Amino acid sequence: MKNASRSIIALSSTAMALPGIALSDAPPTQSTVSYKLSNYQEDDLSRSEAPIGELERYEIDVHQFQLVSPLGRNMSLHVDANYESLSGASPWFTSRSLDGEPVVNLSGPSGIWDRRAELSVGSRFYLENGSFAGKIGYSEENDYSAFSFGLNGEKNYNNDLTTVSVGLSYSSDQIFPTDAALFNRVIEDDKQSTSVFFSVSQVINQVSSFQSALSITEQSGFLSDPYKLRDIRPDNKTQIAWSNSYRRFFVSTNAALHANYRYYHDDFGVNSHTSDLSWYQNLGRTLQLVPTLRYYNQSAANFFTNVDNFLNPISEYQSSDYRLSTFGAVSGSLSVIADMGSWTATLTAERYLADDKYSAFEVSKPSTALVKYNRISLGIDFRF
Amino acid sequence: MRQLRATLLLSICSLMLISCAEVKAWERGYLAREEMAWDPNSLESSLNDHIFFSKEASSGGNSTAGGGCGCN
Repeated sequence: MKNASRSIIALSSTAMALPGIALSDAPPTQSTVSYKLSNYQEDDLSRSEAPIGELERYEIDVHQFQLVSPLGRNMSLHVDANYESLSGASPWFTSRSLDGEPVVNLSGPSGIWDRRAELSVGSRFYLENGSFAGKIGYSEENDYSAFSFGLNGEKNYNNDLTTVSVGLSYSSDQIFPTDAALFNRVIEDDKQSTSVFFSVSQVINQVSSFQSALSITEQSGFLSDPYKLRDIRPDNKTQIAWSNSYRRFFVSTNAALHANYRYYHDDFGVNSHTSDLSWYQNLGRTLQLVPTLRYYNQSAANFFTNVDNFLNPISEYQSSDYRLSTFGAVSGSLSVIADMGSWTATLTAERYLADDKYSAFEVSKPSTALVKYNRISLGIDFRF
Repeated sequence: MRQLRATLLLSICSLMLISCAEVKAWERGYLAREEMAWDPNSLESSLNDHIFFSKEASSGGNSTAGGGCGCN
């Protein structure tokens, strides 16, 4: 379980995937089945960060299935199914060490095991100068369930050089924490999320295009983390994300550059900047190498603390969740993609490092539980 | 919000200032290549979005997939 719903984000853009250049305004001509297996392991904490208790953090396995298929002459079908399992420990509360430094205390790894299963089905209907799509989804965990739906439409203008897309999505989530009575957690609660999405894509010339997108999400309900010993957050949150994407093909090197930037703001007080660059290098007809670099930087929520204060009244907002602290993160990945006719295989390795030292924002309360992880993924696509 | 307004304004101006060439339908071969798509690998991008969502406070404005929450 995590405090903020993501299904709403999913449906604002998903199956419906971000509008392509007008060239793609046709249903797929063949079906594609995809499967991807991923494993990622968070680094253990050091004894200086967590003087007592467990040091071992999450290990997660993710299975992803996808079917994209034509439906008649003007429609396509999109089916996504995900299953993930995790085990390990997560931050429970923060305190001060004997020398006065903030330290974190993890929950025991033996007691945490969870799995998430998700299914979503969507369809897109193609028109002469655009398309529209709908999707419904359901996700369930041991302690969480979410139902969501989304609608999305796009229309082409200017001889198909400009595409305008709009989307709306809604999610209704239920939370029922495990061992609620034992640890005095909330027994059951809910939250709702509504999101709107607007984007404009523009062909610049024969080898480059640009897209700008704005999404606004409104969340209400239980937005706290019930598994923290003390975590009290407002019950409303407005999120704004503004994304920009640039694509350019380099004919001389037979490669494509992807450059993306996102600015994010919410009324918890978090501002962030995300930039990433990918280089799609074709090697002959069958191989492609894709190195990616990403930099992320966020400021802290107004009520973030790195040492829990249990004397505060429960009416006072407070959270020591490291995800609400000021920090920066760098990550790098390399994908090797082999195309073998009807089959495509993709192998990806990634390293992610979060640290308050990487932040361009001033760090007044450094968090002690920031994450580092390794990920490896293997994906297979089959077209028929 | 002032910063957001400024960036939005900058974005709109940037779009207007970009001198977009007239690209005929038969001149869009490079643009139609798979590696030029906004999201060439939806499983990879949805996985990344899911992981980043669970480690960072920001979300949205991206092509993502999946539902529920994902505590990892």
